[in-house]
Amino acid sequence: MKTAMSSIYFLNKKFIHYLNSKYFHVGNVLQQQARLANSYGAPKLSPQEVTMSLSANEGVVNKSSGSVRGFDYNQLPSNNPIEDRLAVGHCQLTTGMLFGIFDGHGGNECANLISHRLLDYVALSILPENLLKEYLDYLHSGIEPVLVEKINDPVDLTDFQRQLHRESLRNYALQLVQRGRRTPEYFMDQALTQAFTQLDEDMSQEIQQQVNNKNFDLLPLAVTGSCACLAHIDGTHIHIASSGDCKAVLGMLSDDKKWSFKALSKEHNADNVDELRRIIDEHPKPESNFVIKNERLLGQLAPLRAFGDYSYKWKASLLKQLLVPQFGPAVIPPNYYSPPYLTARPEVIHHRLTPRDKFLVIASDGLWEQLMPHKVVKFVGQHMSGRQTLDVLRLPRRNMKLKEIDSILHQRKEGLAKKPVDANAATHLIRIALGRTEYGVEHSKLASMLSLPDELVRTFRDDITIIVIYFDSDFLRHSPAD
Amino acid sequence: MSTAMVTRFLSKVWECPYIGRTPNNSILRPYSHTRVLSRTFDIASEPIGILHDWFTSEIPKQTRVVICGGGVVGCSVAYHLAVHHNWKDVVLLEQGRLGGGTTWHGAGLLGQIKPTTIETKMCQYSIGLYKDLENRGLSTGWKGCGSLLLARTKDRMISFKRLAASAEAMNIECELLTPQGAAKISPIISTEDLEGGLWIPGDGVGDPYKCCLTLATEAKNLGVKVIEGCSVQRVLTDDHHQLKGVETNLGVISCDYFVNSGGWWARHIGRLSQPKVKVPLYPCEHHFLHTLPVKDIDPQMPVIRDYDGHFYIRENQGRYLAGGFEPISKPLDLKELPGSFKPLPEDWDQFYVLLEQMLFRIPSLAEVEVDRLCNGPESFTPDCKWIMGEAPEVKNYFVASGMKSIGIEAAGGIGKLTSDWIVSGEPATDIWDLDIRRFIGLHNNLMFLKARMREVPGMHYRLKYPFTEFETGRCLRMSPIYPRLKIAGAFFSQNMGYEKPAYFDPDTGASADTLECDRIAHTHTFHKPPWFNNVWSEYMACRERVGLLDYSSFTKLELWSPGCEVVNLLQYLCSNDVDIPIGCITHTGMQNKWGGYENDCSLVRLGENFYMLIGPTDQQMRCQTWIKRHLPMDSPVVVADVTSMYTAICVMGPRARDLMTELTDSSMTSRDFPFFTCKIMDIGLASGIKVMNLTHTGELGWVLYIPNEYALHVYDLLVDVGAKYEIKHVGYYAMRTLRIEKFYAFWGKDMDTTTTPLECGRGFRVKFDKGDFIGKDALLKQKKDGVKRRYIQLVLEDHDLHNDVWPWGGEPIYLGNKCIGLTTTTGYGFTMGKQVCLGFIQNLDSSGNPQIVTNDYILKNTFHIVIGGKFFPAKANIHSPTLSFIEYGYDSAYMATR
Repeated sequence: MKTAMSSIYFLNKKFIHYLNSKYFHVGNVLQQQARLANSYGAPKLSPQEVTMSLSANEGVVNKSSGSVRGFDYNQLPSNNPIEDRLAVGHCQLTTGMLFGIFDGHGGNECANLISHRLLDYVALSILPENLLKEYLDYLHSGIEPVLVEKINDPVDLTDFQRQLHRESLRNYALQLVQRGRRTPEYFMDQALTQAFTQLDEDMSQEIQQQVNNKNFDLLPLAVTGSCACLAHIDGTHIHIASSGDCKAVLGMLSDDKKWSFKALSKEHNADNVDELRRIIDEHPKPESNFVIKNERLLGQLAPLRAFGDYSYKWKASLLKQLLVPQFGPAVIPPNYYSPPYLTARPEVIHHRLTPRDKFLVIASDGLWEQLMPHKVVKFVGQHMSGRQTLDVLRLPRRNMKLKEIDSILHQRKEGLAKKPVDANAATHLIRIALGRTEYGVEHSKLASMLSLPDELVRTFRDDITIIVIYFDSDFLRHSPAD
Repeated sequence: MSTAMVTRFLSKVWECPYIGRTPNNSILRPYSHTRVLSRTFDIASEPIGILHDWFTSEIPKQTRVVICGGGVVGCSVAYHLAVHHNWKDVVLLEQGRLGGGTTWHGAGLLGQIKPTTIETKMCQYSIGLYKDLENRGLSTGWKGCGSLLLARTKDRMISFKRLAASAEAMNIECELLTPQGAAKISPIISTEDLEGGLWIPGDGVGDPYKCCLTLATEAKNLGVKVIEGCSVQRVLTDDHHQLKGVETNLGVISCDYFVNSGGWWARHIGRLSQPKVKVPLYPCEHHFLHTLPVKDIDPQMPVIRDYDGHFYIRENQGRYLAGGFEPISKPLDLKELPGSFKPLPEDWDQFYVLLEQMLFRIPSLAEVEVDRLCNGPESFTPDCKWIMGEAPEVKNYFVASGMKSIGIEAAGGIGKLTSDWIVSGEPATDIWDLDIRRFIGLHNNLMFLKARMREVPGMHYRLKYPFTEFETGRCLRMSPIYPRLKIAGAFFSQNMGYEKPAYFDPDTGASADTLECDRIAHTHTFHKPPWFNNVWSEYMACRERVGLLDYSSFTKLELWSPGCEVVNLLQYLCSNDVDIPIGCITHTGMQNKWGGYENDCSLVRLGENFYMLIGPTDQQMRCQTWIKRHLPMDSPVVVADVTSMYTAICVMGPRARDLMTELTDSSMTSRDFPFFTCKIMDIGLASGIKVMNLTHTGELGWVLYIPNEYALHVYDLLVDVGAKYEIKHVGYYAMRTLRIEKFYAFWGKDMDTTTTPLECGRGFRVKFDKGDFIGKDALLKQKKDGVKRRYIQLVLEDHDLHNDVWPWGGEPIYLGNKCIGLTTTTGYGFTMGKQVCLGFIQNLDSSGNPQIVTNDYILKNTFHIVIGGKFFPAKANIHSPTLSFIEYGYDSAYMATR
């Protein structure tokens, strides 16, 4: 009982923090503090310390598999603890690889859980019928075949959660068999969509069941959420399913050695007009003024699709019954008339890899709000060729003296001569995203960005999670273009 | 605001030509005040404006000349046609607004001392023109503030001394300075790391935009039609590739002449005709720094050109205006050509190279505030020289473009020469350095241009050592034996894209499979060159044993006809008698109507009506054009360029005959195979090789014209069998020395279109009795009147080979205190053991008029040559000297001028 109490207390505190960051605009006081912190001042960290904290979570995997030559990844927390997750795995029964980025909000519970579970759901969904039956036969005989070999699995689940997962997955497999053949043309598209929606639905059911059984351990899941962007790469085929505001961008090198990019996902936020139209259309006309307010769903939630966040999905009566007793009446969003308002259904984009496609960057919005996709591709591309470059200099103010310009240019030149400090492309991107000035990457800016006090940091930067996947050009060159 | 206030405000605006200036010049056009005011505020940096409606907008159906491009160059051509030749039936088309292209943002520097004589003359003319216009109350922005050139190295000072010497010869006032002297002229400079300077008081600055409008207005006042907002869409030609008219967005104009002065659009305009006209130029980014007004700036401050700092700086309306030519430039990314001029985004990092140097040289700049950095495209050509002249592809199609950012300097001269050329049909002076016919197809290749452009703008201020070589666009045309030559240690020089071995350094190993151009022949000194010993040993091989040379780059044409038309044609084009027995070779000039050399070539009669022409490498495009232009309409004569079909190997030296005898069953004795004959022979296992008994140097030897597929076979055989005669690879530098010592003139180096055979001791090759030929009258007249300029060989006394600066061509020749000529080519004569200079001299009377140059005048006087500021006495020859040579018991040597 004591544990249950403390967890609720903890949750409440967290929920308030969540409300602060998500629901309310940052107050004047914060902004003033922000301005003070912006004039970098004396660096609080040494260059070594900066590099240490930038690379604390980095990793490199050089594991050639089909078109994938290897990948770099890294995470930089802003929230404490970090709410982003990343997961990479090899499908064991089929030939593809899975790369997922999960950007949690309100807490890390939802992101944590789906980063572990979604890969299995996807691997199961894409099984051809004969393999699916075989898989079930194994289950019947008490053997549980591994669907996905996780290459990195930082996920920390309780035994209870694992058990729930196994049960739900088994039910899902049975459902899939019962549903029968799927049309081959849209197979991947459907399979990915189904994996997403099924997992979200299963989690919803699990929470309801447990709360009804007076077990409140899963409750945090109901008020936290997570965006997800998942890539399935098999030979020259790449499918990206994305729900929320993570983004996947392909880096291409043209014949005249110029880098260009192609977005392989759409962000589901208020910048996406199609998405706004979808949401408004899904609800009765009178609601159209409230559904999206201040560029947020019901005035609250920035991403327009997500896992979890059942307070935007369940019926109001269910919310009153399950959540209000724990979190108070504020848990029901204003103007809550025709749920669900939120879905985990992804948009799936297919791309056929060519030898020009050199790498794929998947990252949470913490990166994209700092760097435009074409810059990201340029920086990674140049990182690949071992060079460092800068943005075009715009003079920071008018009527500058020539000596001042000279010293800026001098610093830039020094910076250009250097090799990139980071071997890891993801770390390189984070360094640029945080430390970029007109002089190039500047230590004092980096140092101050990394040593912001906890209460301030979230206003300057979000959690950043990046995977850079490198493609094997030789493999792609020799792949038949069927 | 009262009217007076507005006017005062306006005059202020007008006086700042680079900031917020509109092309609507108040001097030229009365404006309603409100209109001007509204203009002045919405300007960022772009030339904005309404079309000059004081120009006509209706296009005529027919005219004599259409000029495409209303920059300062196009306007100057129009001006000169109207003013100097009274040709008023001229239409000037501009796609945007007059002066709206690169003219608009030019820095307006006006210097007189240029690397080539023709450029110097043109710039002098331009300055004279602008001064004259200004004196007549017309606005050109001329300010005679002088220019100060700065040197940071000893070699740069040597180059200044060379410049000063030739400037003096051309009556340009200039003064060499110590660092302190330079600081006296311009106190703002720091003398740190300064070796000296050159002060040219007659230089100045102008305003390209004002010049452009003034020239246009003057032309327009005489009746020239100026049409803005009119772009050429097609240039029309007839079946004989003669110009017919232009098709524009406003309609068709039929015309007799077309001038492409489209600036960096010129290459694109060239592609609008059928056949396409090749205008090889490419735009590069060029930055101009404009500062805010500076307190205490000297309005008469000279233009400072710090060559080793790559920059220039001038005063401009109380502000500084600076720019430069960074060593590695930034060619534009030309995916598509923009329709009109738009400034490019500035690139400070690219400019940093210059800024750093400016702050170093002029420390007070540090505190100056910047207004803006303006980035405009400027077009450059593959050799960093302007392009002008009649296009080889289309008759009556003229090009005047590629002004490499100094259009205002060029405009006057280019306008004058182009208009003269249009009117008289031929250029009045030698402009070969700028002639569009110096280019062939490869130069117009976009990828070549883009690659080459990285180093071209930097050429402006780079120290011009002798035999300058480019690093980019190399390994393009190569003979089949190139890899073998490379293994043998060749260092290459490039001519018309062809890699010719300049010298061999056998100690430098190389593998054959790399095409990397790491073997470029550089001469980074004005003193004794690093390759001296290599060339010496090659020279000795040719004089004592046998040398092997690659002549493949020479221009090779074949001409034939069903009847005797080709003989008649050549008789008319050449001054020598070409009706020679089959199998014989004649050396002949092709004269222009003034008797000057259009070409100097060897003609081989291979059949009754079949000739092969061997000409200088440079002539590949030019000589074809000259011949084709003189083909009568419907002539059956075929002219084919076979340059790329043959590999030409020369074996030269006293043992050449022994070597050749071993390789063939034909007799090589002088009786069976005399000088100046050609045989088609078998060599080794190969056949059909044209072997000619001449070497172009005055040495004994043969040139083998080998169909390319046999080239390696024959080469390998020559090297194999030649080993016994100690055959040696010989480069172009050694060949050059051989022919200079033998007093043997080369076209393009010694002779040009103004040189007559009588002036260079080749009267014996002109056959006045053979019937009519081009230039006959002029030569007859010169023969009667006497020759007032002669080509001589000068042998230097007292020159210290190891320590003195060497002559490299272009040095003034003095008699007493009078400059009477310039050297052309020079070299160290290894047999004579002295420096040998070739050059032209005049006999000037006390008032400076040229008199007849007699043998006595040449032989009885002692001349002096100025090299690096030092006078060297020289002994003159009018004939090839007799050089001792090793005889292997056969013939006497051939003498070039006997």
